[in-house]
Formats: sequence, structure tokens, C-alpha cells
Amino acid sequence: MSKLYRTREGTISAVDTKTQLSTLGSESAPGPLLVPAGAKKLNALIMVMATSQAVAADGAVLIRLEGPGLPEGPETLVVGAQGVAVATGGHGSRSAHRVTLEIPVTAANEILIFAENVGEDVGDVTVGVTLEFTM
Amino acid sequence: MSRTITVEGDVNAIDTRTLLTGQGSVTTPSLVVPAGMTKIKQIIVTAATDGLAAGHVVNFIRLGGNAILNGEQVFVFGGEDSITVQAGSDGAPSLGEFFIIDDADIDVRPSDTISIAGESAGVDVGDETFAITLVYGK
Repeated sequence: MSKLYRTREGTISAVDTKTQLSTLGSESAPGPLLVPAGAKKLNALIMVMATSQAVAADGAVLIRLEGPGLPEGPETLVVGAQGVAVATGGHGSRSAHRVTLEIPVTAANEILIFAENVGEDVGDVTVGVTLEFTM
Repeated sequence: MSRTITVEGDVNAIDTRTLLTGQGSVTTPSLVVPAGMTKIKQIIVTAATDGLAAGHVVNFIRLGGNAILNGEQVFVFGGEDSITVQAGSDGAPSLGEFFIIDDADIDVRPSDTISIAGESAGVDVGDETFAITLVYGK
């Protein structure tokens, strides 16, 4: 029972603003993220974020999964949080984290991925999300 | 039984698919999936940046080529952010952490060639080095 990995990324630049992750690096328009044929379950999410550190503030980032590919409705998960005291001279190196799930999916239907900065505005944030499907 | 392959490479521009084909002193390691191996069982990947540009990226891997049976598989594994230091100060080091998928379960065709590419997206943080190990099994 093999797994399939589908990824999107994007940059959010305003607090409390739902922003769709719709690109994939060199693919500026990869198209809708469809549940692969034969997939029965969203088995895990792999998520990571990085911020500009350009604002002395603290906030968190969450993602929202929506769309007809999720028959049980939308889901939300936290990606991470960031805070800096001064907006100069920072550096962060982050490992992605993988969250095991068991969410039913509808094959050939779209899942939309949104990211959102909550709390204080931490500046620009790039977020990457991988959906791990099982057959 | 398991077999491994490790490759590395520089990813120095965002939004640029970059093949990871080196292995330090071995410039062209074989990317042929060993005979008898039918799955990628585990993935171990890391990256670090010089942080010479103020930016923020997420890094991801593209596994493709004729050996990957269900098409290209793409997954994020890490992020880097950096902002310019004040005059006279030093920036913090970039300490690449491991990201490990213990049960990757990706189908491959033995004796065929795999393609491993790295890429970053977001706002350029400077040069990056990626390194990844694939653990093959049955």
C-alpha cells in the first residue's frame, strides 16, 4: 500500500488573512491539488514555515484544509510560531514536522490549502505543506 | 535487507529545480535503484544556508525519474529564515536539522534510475547545501 506525496507552498504577508498556498517553487501554476485516484485517506501532513523576522512581534501560523476532496469538511492545524525582540540579525533553521492523521478523502476532488498568521503580525511568512495520501 | 544512497548539492537560487547528483569526493554516484529493491522505505534529509541574504524559504525535494512508479513525489522538509545583522555583529549559525520520514513507502522499479532534485521557495536567503539519504527496501 504505497503512499503519494503532494505539496504546495506560498507566502503570507498579513495577519488574520486566509491565504491560499497555490505554487510549488519553479512551478508557478501547478494547478489544483487533486486527491490522487485510488487514494482513500489523508494519512499525514508535513509542514514547515519560515519568516522574514522583520517585525519585533510574536505570532503563530496555522493552515486550513478545505474543498470537495474532504467529505467530512474543513480541517485546521498549527504549523509553528515565531517571535523576535529586535528586527535585526536573526536566523532560523527549521525542520519540518509530520503529523499523522486519518482523514477520509474523495479521489479526483480538490483540496485547497490555506495558511494564516494569527496573533501578532510577524512579517512575511513562507509556508510549505505536503499532503501524504494512502491508497 | 536495506540499501542506501546519499546525494548532495548546492541550491543557490529560489524557484529553481536543482538536481542533487554529487556525493562529496564521489562526483557521480550511481542513481540506479539496486536490484531487488522495490520501495523507498525511509528518507533522511537536511540543509543549511549561509544566510547572506535577508529572506525566508521553505525547502522541498522532488523524487522523480523512471524508477518512481507513481509519478513525481514532492515533500517539504525544512525552512530557513535570515535577516541582516546590525553593523559589527555576527549572525547566528544555520544548524541544519534532520527531517526523517520513517515509513515513506514510495514504490520504485529496481535497476532503473531515480532523479533527486532540491528546491527552495519564498524569498532568497543566500546559498544552501542540501543532503539527502534514501533507504531502499522491499
